[in-house]
Amino acid sequence: MQSYEYYAPRSLPDALEYLAENAKNCRIIAGGTDLIPALRNEDIHPAFLLNIMEIAEVGGISETEQTVRIGAITTFNDLAESGLIRKEFPILSEMALSVGGPQTRNRGTIGGNIASAAPAADGLPVFLSLDAEVELSSRRGKRNLPLNEAIAKAWTPAWGNDELITAIRIKKLPSGTRTAFYKLARRQAMARSRMTISLILRRDPAGIIEELRFVPGSVMPVPRRMEEIEKLLTGKVPTDELLDQAARAVGEEMVKVTGIRWSTGYKKPVLGNLFRIVLSQLITAG
Amino acid sequence: MAKDQDKTILKMTVNGEPVEVAVNPAWTLLRVIREELGLTGTKEGCGIGDCGACTVLLEGKTVNSCLVLALQAEGKEVRTVEGLGTEENLDPLQESFIEYGAVQCGFCTPGMLISARALLDKNPHPTTEEIKVAISGNLCRCTGYVKIIQAIEIVAQEG
Amino acid sequence: MKKRGIGYGSMFYGLGYGFSRTDIASATLEISQDGSIIARSGEVDYGQGSDTVFCQIIAEELGVDYSAIKLITADTDVTPDSGPTSASRLTFVGGNAFIKTSRSLKKILNGVAEDILGASDLVFREGMVFSRSAPEKSISFKKLAGRAYARGVPAVVTEWYNNTTQDVDPETGQGDAYATYCWATQMAEVEVDTETGRVEVLRIVAVTDVGKALNPLNCEAQIEGGVVQGLGYALEEEIKEEGGYVKTGTLGEYMIPTSLDIPTIEVHLLEVTEPKGPYGAKGVGEPALIPTPPAVLNAVRDALGLRIHKLPANLENVYHLINGAEAGN
Repeated sequence: MQSYEYYAPRSLPDALEYLAENAKNCRIIAGGTDLIPALRNEDIHPAFLLNIMEIAEVGGISETEQTVRIGAITTFNDLAESGLIRKEFPILSEMALSVGGPQTRNRGTIGGNIASAAPAADGLPVFLSLDAEVELSSRRGKRNLPLNEAIAKAWTPAWGNDELITAIRIKKLPSGTRTAFYKLARRQAMARSRMTISLILRRDPAGIIEELRFVPGSVMPVPRRMEEIEKLLTGKVPTDELLDQAARAVGEEMVKVTGIRWSTGYKKPVLGNLFRIVLSQLITAG
Repeated sequence: MAKDQDKTILKMTVNGEPVEVAVNPAWTLLRVIREELGLTGTKEGCGIGDCGACTVLLEGKTVNSCLVLALQAEGKEVRTVEGLGTEENLDPLQESFIEYGAVQCGFCTPGMLISARALLDKNPHPTTEEIKVAISGNLCRCTGYVKIIQAIEIVAQEG
Repeated sequence: MKKRGIGYGSMFYGLGYGFSRTDIASATLEISQDGSIIARSGEVDYGQGSDTVFCQIIAEELGVDYSAIKLITADTDVTPDSGPTSASRLTFVGGNAFIKTSRSLKKILNGVAEDILGASDLVFREGMVFSRSAPEKSISFKKLAGRAYARGVPAVVTEWYNNTTQDVDPETGQGDAYATYCWATQMAEVEVDTETGRVEVLRIVAVTDVGKALNPLNCEAQIEGGVVQGLGYALEEEIKEEGGYVKTGTLGEYMIPTSLDIPTIEVHLLEVTEPKGPYGAKGVGEPALIPTPPAVLNAVRDALGLRIHKLPANLENVYHLINGAEAGN
């Protein structure tokens, strides 16, 4: 049986104060979909548990002219049901609906998805493809960190243990930008991703790729943009030959990071295949 | 067992009734519903959010009660299968599940009913696909889902 | 590229234990003086519907309403030995035991009723007992039970049905090993994504010889459930073990199909009366899932021109089949 002190403040300063005082042995709980099984399995033994689900400032979805701010305790279903998100970042709506089942989507939060930093996380690669920033708050103050600097290694965030992820910030995409998310899994619900593809694409009127961002999910310990692939295609018209070449290079890039593992024989070619299929569909669509 | 001094008073509303119960902070909502409140209609399947047998409504939304700490329900409204209908006055979904053979071993049934009720409360006339999505977090090993989907569809058509 | 294929799987399945192995079921019926009926059986209904069918059988034999029967099952304190709940044998063996028991009890009650009504052509129907030739000679089942009680007539009957069969010839292995056989054929239509190895089952058509469907809704439900279990077996379910430890010990790792993984399933009940079965019925539980995996795998063969020899036909195994490489795991 776990033994910890439980605290559920309603104000952010109270939470940050508590976190600063107890930083070493404190775990933060939001939706609990990762944390509660870990507690049950006795994988972790926190002395303090800080529930942030009652803090209004950590929730909500809002926009300015340039950016959208998504509170860290926004659940996947909140994300899926948001008209603003559907309009600005349909890739996030698609991703959100692919996560787990309705019950886990009603609890699981985007802040938790990022902070857990699981290799098979669905939210993390999409946010990376959107060049998101995480808003971190602590008693010391507030700062924004690019998401690609926010994860140290698998399962481990790179921010201080007195810091709380309070929101995700994403710059709105230039008009004409298209996005796609694809999830390959062993079944159609309640499934961890086998692989995901997150793509952001903008082309000029002549069909030349002006901008491409590509993040594969579930294939590397920490997802990241595959910049070599993006460079290979940017500034060019995506012909079939070029796409085939890029698809092969995707697998090579993956192996550079992961080395050869039991799953490489499958993932290396199939990741390339999926990249080509999803990108081709995106190109055909516009 | 936790000592009494380790417990905190949890206040919430369960099936419309206010309840107050002393809970250990380590307990899940599922444990409190079953062991402390004696509402054993809600089942513990896997205990780690993989099966949906323990589905209840928390503030009107389906959750796996094994993945909610009891204290996270403080001040909130919980609805379990016991709150759907009474033996004399069943929820139309319960009637339909019986009528159209949607129950076999019965272990997934309470969670299925809760997920179906949440769907129909929000969307009284869902498509078949929307029904499938709504119960996709509830595993069933017996029925193959066909009769469950049909039973929900029939209520949705009549409702 | 997506390739489609159609495949069939057919099976026959010996019902019960066969091969001279003991296969018996006991059943007990007791009538109270108010006409209520208490039935006891050692069989377990874990969802397949045997309780329902047993009550239907008793109601049919005694001409009473289904709701008049209280069935107690699977409690070794009070229920007789009916053999295990396995081998798709409950309706057949347990059902026959209840037919025998009901008929023994009816014979006792019939004797009392003949005496009371002065008629010998009695019919038990809809809670009444009456003379076929002179229907005005009648008594309600409830009253009859009370009169029988008053006369001190035994009100508890236990019978058993013996389904033990002959063994086959030990020299040749030939013979009729089982009391009866269940037959089923299923058709699967699949779409295989050659670039990921994903097999999507689009449609299953299941035709099962159920003998006589005592409860058609239950038969359909058993077959639908069996088909979906068969799909899981064919495509995804796998116990992985490493150094003696099960690596797929949770429902997140050992993945059974969800509501979003099921195809269109068409069920057809083929009723071919089995003379030894209760009213011609046979078993349906296991036969429901046996044809599904071969039907799916044959459909994959039809789609790809390649036969998979390693189950499950999951992403990796199908992709490697297509690309001629051995699956890594």
